[in-house]
Amino acid sequence: MNFETRFSNNIAILALAGRFDTNTAPPVAAWLEKATTTPPAQVVVNLAQTTFVDSTALATLVQALKRSRQGQGDVHLCGLQRSVYMIFELTRLDKAFNIFVDEDHAIAAFTE
Amino acid sequence: MLVALLSSQYARFTTLAQAWLSSGATSFGVYQQGRPLAYWPIGQKLAQPSLTVPIQVGSEVVGDVRVSGVHGQQHEARLRADADMIAYMVALENELQGMTAELVTSQDQQLSLYRLMQTMRSHVTIEETLQALVHEALRMVKIQSCFALFVAPDRDPLFVQHPTTTINEELAWRCYWHAQTMERELLLPNPDDTAWASLPVESLLFVPIHVRGTMMAGLGLVNRQGGEFFAVDLKLARAIADQVSAQIEKVLLYQESYDQAKLRTEMELARRVQLDLLPRHVPQVPGLDIYAHSRPAYQVGGDFFDFISEQGRPFIFSVGDVTGKGLSAALLMTMTRSALHSKALFIPDPNPEIVMRQSHEDLYHDFTQVGVFATAFVGQYERATQRLIYANAGHSPVIYRPRDGAPLLLRADSTAIGVFAVSHSKNQTIQMRQGDLLIVATDGFSDARNHSDETFDHERLLYMADRLVQKSAQEIGQALFDAVDRFSSGRPQDDDQTLVVIKGM
Repeated sequence: MNFETRFSNNIAILALAGRFDTNTAPPVAAWLEKATTTPPAQVVVNLAQTTFVDSTALATLVQALKRSRQGQGDVHLCGLQRSVYMIFELTRLDKAFNIFVDEDHAIAAFTE
Repeated sequence: MLVALLSSQYARFTTLAQAWLSSGATSFGVYQQGRPLAYWPIGQKLAQPSLTVPIQVGSEVVGDVRVSGVHGQQHEARLRADADMIAYMVALENELQGMTAELVTSQDQQLSLYRLMQTMRSHVTIEETLQALVHEALRMVKIQSCFALFVAPDRDPLFVQHPTTTINEELAWRCYWHAQTMERELLLPNPDDTAWASLPVESLLFVPIHVRGTMMAGLGLVNRQGGEFFAVDLKLARAIADQVSAQIEKVLLYQESYDQAKLRTEMELARRVQLDLLPRHVPQVPGLDIYAHSRPAYQVGGDFFDFISEQGRPFIFSVGDVTGKGLSAALLMTMTRSALHSKALFIPDPNPEIVMRQSHEDLYHDFTQVGVFATAFVGQYERATQRLIYANAGHSPVIYRPRDGAPLLLRADSTAIGVFAVSHSKNQTIQMRQGDLLIVATDGFSDARNHSDETFDHERLLYMADRLVQKSAQEIGQALFDAVDRFSSGRPQDDDQTLVVIKGM
């Protein structure tokens, strides 16, 4: 898995490519923890190139979501492939996260 | 010096004397501070010397040679040449003695180091090793006291000294952090370093001890007898530090393997406890054909299934999966299973929604503390209506294959336990008539991978549910486990795999 990070107007953007699972989650978790330390943390996770997520990946995202919301921030997801989106639907996490079609919409939702 | 040379080279001095006597001299003598050390011809009365030449080693006159009965420049030059030769031999003798002394010291130190190594070999803790070190170092180096420190991650720092009250601990730690920052030994007093000007000891030598490539300990030698520390003390202290480093490494290795063995034993115990928590037998529930099995990926796992089948109460079952793996997941799994179990067993007039909501309330705070969540599926069978009521907190995959329809993946009605403070669980209903099939698996099935890195996925599960619908619950369960094994073809199992198959009869 590759992951790229950048910042745009105080919004932390994380793009993950490949398998997001137990083996690849630790550096992502570490980055997200750092990104959500200072409230209000606004994070966009771009999953457009993510081909697979397992329960550890979901737990990593949920932790970031909870931490950011505690400080009035949020984690926006975007670009989910069909198979990945299905996991969110089956586990009901599609109702927990704000999910957007692409990065622009996910970023715009923070500034609106 | 001259005496030592005379005794070791007496024969040569005799030859020299005889050469003088045979060439006309009446006597030949070697003197030190005016007193004869050796005199030829032996046994004769001392004659008044006619020529005297000092024996000079560097700038120091160590004695003189005297002859009698001969005169003149020629004899004087010869005597001077002899004196020079003797001086040269004295210098060589001095050097030899110095080297011998060094050799003896070095042998003594090697012996002491060997003894240090032998003494420490029997110690199995770092503290014992440090105690042995300070006692042995005190014997090896001429010092008033000795201390040692040890710092390692996840361990309490250690400070030992002998005798016990010579140096205050604060100073010892100051030496340690200084040596670590400067990455070298500390030798005091140091007139160039004002930071140590008001030192409460006369002299101090601190050497770092490196273990596994980093400074993890240090040895301090305090108040050398006779003043300051020399280069030779530093050399010895370094040699001691090297020995101790090897010993500490051995102790750490021993403790790690001991800890590992202990952990293995505890894991085995945890595994047995966990296995005991899983139902040993599938209950006989009129109207249902049930199969259940759980296979942890590690010794202990985060998956579970459970049945509550008590006289006068509805049949309730649960399947769950705690995020994470190993012992921590196993602990949280037992918590989750116990919460669901006790609610299903004791709530008056229970149903899955209430069981799930109340368990969620019990667990949410603890789960949030440790940053995990657990998915859970709770089902309850109503025989009279041939219905199965369930609540699904983020659990997947769950497949329902009605006897007369296509297989479906059932979506959760709420997020997993631990995600949100409030549970939104809601009772859902499916029919459980004769031939209807429900498969509740854990993601260890759908996420299983083969050597080409493909996942088993939901599609294969759906396909198999459809193909196997006519079989018994036992046959379906076995076939699913066999299929995932064939698919993985020997690739180690990444995650726990749990399966509950329920079929209407």
